[in-house]
Amino acid sequence: MIANHPRLKELKFTLRRIFGNPLAIIGFSLLLFFIAVAVFAPYIAPPKYEHNPYLMPHKGYSQTPRPPSKQNIFGTTAGQYDIFYGAVWGTRTAFKIGIFVVCIAACIGVILGVISGYYGGIVDELLMRIVDIVFAIPLLVLTMAIVVAFGRGLDKVMIALAMVGWRSYVRVMRSSILTLRELDFVQAARAMGVSNIKIMLRHILPNGIYPVLVMAFMDIGSMVVVAAFMSFVGLGAPKGYADWGQMVALARNYIVGPPDDPLKYWYAIVIPGGCIVLFVLAWNLIGDALRDAFDPKIRRG
Amino acid sequence: MLGVVLFGVSILIFGILMTFSPERRAAAYVSSPQQVKDIPAIVEQFGLDDPFYLQYFRWIKEVFSGNLGWSVVAARPVWDAFWHYFPITLELNLFTSPFIIIFGIWLGTQAGIHRNTFIDHSTRIFAITGWSLPTFLFGLIMLMIFYGYFGIFPPGIISDDLGMFIRENPDRFRQYTHMYTIDGLLNGRLDITLDALKRLFMPVLTQVVVIVALLMRVMRSSMIEEISKEYILTARAKGADKRTIYFKHARKNALIPVVTVAGWLVAFLMEGSIAVEYIFTRQGIGWWLASSAISLDIPVLMGVCLFFGLVYVIANLIIDILYAYIDPRIRLT
Amino acid sequence: MSKLVELVDIVTNFYTYEGTVKALNRVSLTIEHGSSFGLVGESGCGKSVTARSIMRVVQEPGRIEGGSVLVYLDETDETKMIDLMKQSEDYMVDLRGNKISMIFQEPNAALNPIMSVGEQVAESFLFHRKQELCKKVLSELNSPDCKTIYPLRKLLQSIYMAADENPDSFGLKLMSKIPVLKWWRRRMKQEALKQSAEIISKLGIPNPAEVVKLYPHNLSGGMKQRIVIAIALACNPVLLIADEATSNLDVTIQAQILELLRELKQKEISSILLITHDLGVVAETCDRVGVMYAGNLCEVADVKDLFSHPRHPYTRALLDSVPKLSQEGELKSIEGNVPNLVTPPPGCRFHPRCPYRKGICSVELPELRNVGKNHQAACHVLPE
Repeated sequence: MIANHPRLKELKFTLRRIFGNPLAIIGFSLLLFFIAVAVFAPYIAPPKYEHNPYLMPHKGYSQTPRPPSKQNIFGTTAGQYDIFYGAVWGTRTAFKIGIFVVCIAACIGVILGVISGYYGGIVDELLMRIVDIVFAIPLLVLTMAIVVAFGRGLDKVMIALAMVGWRSYVRVMRSSILTLRELDFVQAARAMGVSNIKIMLRHILPNGIYPVLVMAFMDIGSMVVVAAFMSFVGLGAPKGYADWGQMVALARNYIVGPPDDPLKYWYAIVIPGGCIVLFVLAWNLIGDALRDAFDPKIRRG
Repeated sequence: MLGVVLFGVSILIFGILMTFSPERRAAAYVSSPQQVKDIPAIVEQFGLDDPFYLQYFRWIKEVFSGNLGWSVVAARPVWDAFWHYFPITLELNLFTSPFIIIFGIWLGTQAGIHRNTFIDHSTRIFAITGWSLPTFLFGLIMLMIFYGYFGIFPPGIISDDLGMFIRENPDRFRQYTHMYTIDGLLNGRLDITLDALKRLFMPVLTQVVVIVALLMRVMRSSMIEEISKEYILTARAKGADKRTIYFKHARKNALIPVVTVAGWLVAFLMEGSIAVEYIFTRQGIGWWLASSAISLDIPVLMGVCLFFGLVYVIANLIIDILYAYIDPRIRLT
Repeated sequence: MSKLVELVDIVTNFYTYEGTVKALNRVSLTIEHGSSFGLVGESGCGKSVTARSIMRVVQEPGRIEGGSVLVYLDETDETKMIDLMKQSEDYMVDLRGNKISMIFQEPNAALNPIMSVGEQVAESFLFHRKQELCKKVLSELNSPDCKTIYPLRKLLQSIYMAADENPDSFGLKLMSKIPVLKWWRRRMKQEALKQSAEIISKLGIPNPAEVVKLYPHNLSGGMKQRIVIAIALACNPVLLIADEATSNLDVTIQAQILELLRELKQKEISSILLITHDLGVVAETCDRVGVMYAGNLCEVADVKDLFSHPRHPYTRALLDSVPKLSQEGELKSIEGNVPNLVTPPPGCRFHPRCPYRKGICSVELPELRNVGKNHQAACHVLPE
């Protein structure tokens, strides 16, 4: 019976492990919410500038943020940009950044890791030295250096992140491969005469990809955070672009309000900031649940 | 081995720099509008047109003789500015590190021992939230609440009055370490120490929360793995009480994989200090780097990158030594 | 011979994700003073769980749900018995490694990799023989050729005298926990290390003074197993439980270790509970043997009697399946499969595979009944 096919059973078991975890359910719900917002953005917050929906609309140029009102549901930030619009379209930006960067970085990392693990020897040594060098400088610092060299802008930030972010994937994939290579079932396949490439593709890669998957999920959040910080200091998205980090940057001078009402402009920071936190939280929760689900030691507990 | 890495780092940094055209790089040597006309002359003068390796060796030679260029942001040579900013960052990290280590290991051990209980679940939620909070955002919110609303824990390094006093009275207040907390004690000025501590509190808290979240999880999973091992059963069968089992046997072994992660933690510490220093306006290396990036102050970028590379290499060296100390299996090899 | 340990109707369950595994289904057996009891059965039949239930070290997610473990420490007086199931965990911590010890299957994993071997053996002494150690240290301190300076010596003497009287006093415990104040224990530790060297040499390990400083990864499998035995025997237990202790060793090393155990049984320990799936080992080493199947004890008898006159259908099938030199033709095996212990068969757990089953076998769990001299079996089909 198809329901008793071992692979399907394993899949069902894994799914149950993932969703049996209440935190995972919260994560998935959050993610679905964000996906919905991103997909339906043109309907939820109709763009003012047809040629570039990422430009936030602003009525006027006054620097003081205005609190939530009937025209601006979340209020406006410095320069009268509508926070609600920014929050909605910023979701799209966040997805763009996270998925683009992680996909490219993961692909590069996995390919290099596979080459390193498969060939071993000099190739492995060389690649590992290069990875060591790229690792030596913190992600943020390298990204800043590259952005300074290439120029500001969200696209440059994304390229810079992708150029640096692959380093962890190489290590993770390589260690996965090295562990799997020695396991009995791989030795058995070798003894049966299966070619190296087939072993790599059919046995090692499908089994070794899990830690990479877990890392990728959690990395999406990290990348969005780094990009947000870059926008915050002014190296990323330009002013008025619908990016959460950019929106926090706009409110820089309004962190503390007048002495009698210091939290007056809370919405300018908390709302875009909250979006970032919830977005990252969603990916982290899912990544964490995946890690617990895939960990063989905790699996059958 | 480490020398190779450093060498590679320097090449990497220099390589990034070289992506600028010679004219743009010349702009880094320019300090007044009139000199803009002279850019071709500057290119000529500094040999900015020469092949890569020539320029690289020239630069390395300068680096080794202490000349890292001029920082626009600091209005003084990079080397001097570095020693001006370094104590601030050192002070911050000196205060964060012990808390991170103590809380991370303690909470992680407890979560691992009391697995799937309330302690475990609550620390897990704390860990995930802490990890999801971007450092800069957390810092901003803390600033809003504690400085804006409650009026305690102001940003900056020292209050304006005290700062002026220190600057104008070098004979009455000797800056031995250039760290206000320690110098305050050494000079018998507790009020300076307290003021500096007050302003340190938020930055330290911000860093600690985010990094403890990571360390705790690693410690926890390491403990869980150790506790299920066979030698723990032997210890139990020997008549060891729970305390001896967990802390004498399991935890020591569990620390080994944690030391591996220590490299990551150092990196996060450094990254975090950039955000924290920028948000709380503490002029340390991180702040300097961020400001230089915004102002395209290239020599600073290169110098600070080198510095970070150096820190990483030294940290890994220390970690390797620690490894050999904890794990006797590694010692003979 | 008088009883040493008596298990009565032990029930142990494992609460897992896939269901409740009813690992032990009212297991009862008796081990006597000075005897060597072998517990055999297939993998998964519950032998290890039985052993762990005696010492109450059943691993998560298992729990002992019922029954008693009666220990008769006084050979002469059978009324002085203690039910281990009713004792506190503190009592058990005191008992483990002291009165009852256990050694395990995998010597490579059984030792803490970052502690020296000598330290690990010394731990047994430090846990259970504190007063002896204190007395030894005191006699050293009091002896005329003690080289310690006077004030330090006085201080140490007073500490150790207090420790001798009440090793578990609060003050001493406090001092042991605070890192800097722990130094006073150093002499005790040195004394314990000396004694571990002694016991290691008793187990046939050469150069004990050197070995004591080595780490587990420096030793071979056989030596590691000897160290594990040394840890178990350090405090002269009355019962040593060997849980598949020789299964992972080379055959030659296995023979050495078994020989060692035999020697020790004559000189040092009173009784051994040997758990194994190897019938040959049991035949060589044990006085009495019990056969387990799927969480039940099927048959228990003296060794010679069981091998020559097996009564329980499972035992008979088991012995039949062992290939003999004189045998010709196909190997005999037992039909069917070991049952799933989450949903075990009702009544006698062997009945689905038993060629002699009757109606009652699928309804009622058979009790152990006498079927010969010192020979019990749990089966409905057998006559008295």
